[in-house]
Amino acid sequence: MYIDHHPILENHGNDQISFFYDGTPLKARQGQTIAAALMMNNIRKFGISRKLRQSRGLFCANGRCCSCFVTVNGLEHVLSCTTLIEEGMEIKPNTGDPDVRGGIHEN
Amino acid sequence: MKTDVLIIGGGPAGLNAAIETASRGIKTIIIEESYALGGQLKQQTQFFNNLPKQFDRQRGIHLMRTLIDRLSPLPVTCLLKHKMIGVYKDGRIGIANDTETFPIDAKKVIVTTGAAEETDLFPGWTLPGVMTVGAAQILINRERVLPGKNALIVGLNSFSAEVTKQLKACGINILGVIDKNVSVNDKKLVDGLEDKKIRVMVNTVIERATGAGEVEKVTINNDGKKEDLDIDLICIGKGLSPILEPLEILDCEFGFQAKLGGLVPKYYSTLGTSNPSVYVAGNAAGITCLGGILVTAEIAALNALKALGVLNDNEAKISSSFLWDELRSMESEESIETFIARVAHIKEFHEECELPLPASFHAILEGC
Repeated sequence: MYIDHHPILENHGNDQISFFYDGTPLKARQGQTIAAALMMNNIRKFGISRKLRQSRGLFCANGRCCSCFVTVNGLEHVLSCTTLIEEGMEIKPNTGDPDVRGGIHEN
Repeated sequence: MKTDVLIIGGGPAGLNAAIETASRGIKTIIIEESYALGGQLKQQTQFFNNLPKQFDRQRGIHLMRTLIDRLSPLPVTCLLKHKMIGVYKDGRIGIANDTETFPIDAKKVIVTTGAAEETDLFPGWTLPGVMTVGAAQILINRERVLPGKNALIVGLNSFSAEVTKQLKACGINILGVIDKNVSVNDKKLVDGLEDKKIRVMVNTVIERATGAGEVEKVTINNDGKKEDLDIDLICIGKGLSPILEPLEILDCEFGFQAKLGGLVPKYYSTLGTSNPSVYVAGNAAGITCLGGILVTAEIAALNALKALGVLNDNEAKISSSFLWDELRSMESEESIETFIARVAHIKEFHEECELPLPASFHAILEGC
């Protein structure tokens, strides 16, 4: 849920952007990280751990714990807590080990 | 890329160190892994009173602005979204962003990587909805997102108590703040929380957290008495430890100082490490208060400037003794144990290297 009226800080601008999570169109605020954009839409489970197949989501929010990986525009294992959301981004949950990167990264 | 001073980490320590070096006209580069400068100040909405004399009492986020404003007219290059990833054989520092890797040839390196939050281990601690108190603070103050509706806080310290009040002010229902042991020193924290009608439970631990896909329930154990709580947020506040990887890569030696947060780089009274081109400051040099973070950055920058021949011995001596007095006053205000541990840590390293402590430091030692 978005905090419209913060107890201390001034309100941010209302600039909304659109992105996709697993194909579903969602809204976020300009300047938010991917993790925050997902949590604002009540998505807290971002993926599944590779070995124990347990749910994972935001933990440290500082790019250190690697619990919040998602796939961004086809690139796997992106830290959602330190990457800003952008207009039209296609986010997918992190469901396992990556395929060898294709496309421009081939060879 | 060549520079006189390379600063690893653009939080309060890195920014303040850069202000010191760059205001003397010294070429300075800051590398920062995040998309913005400021480090953890970005979400500190609380006021800080105990700051060096050049800073008025202000909120953390305002202090971040103050530091960035002071830095912006100076000859500093800030490389955002860049990380230090290694050291080349010739000593140059390897820097990478998402697309390229390149060396920086720096005469002096100041490591200001800050600290990471410690976790607490219990069954279910990895469930979504379980996060550090720092993460919850980032969500409400920087991202403007509520991390949950009903929260349990694990670990009582000044930071977790502050964040708990901030979460409550945003409308989150706090079911309790629990800790295994609460010392007499924490009495003020407990009173502060209870004044805000927040329940504090001592001798209490989490038995387990459960939920389908995310945390929904937690079982706490208070001296053998078990209680189930319906929650969707658990915030872990178990303190901080220094971030050391760049110092490891730079071959710095380490020593253990429990009161400084565990393993910390060995350093001299200059805050120079066992690697002669590397200095350390801020929480990376031992967990301290914001005032301590800012002053250690000045001490490290001052000594780097002296080693570069920018300051003469006399100038450096006068500033250094002033800064050490200021550091003692900052750290005594919060916890004198930090200052005592720091001085002991420095003394040990000087003895190990058979390097006499500077005369000005003897007065400090006697004061401890």
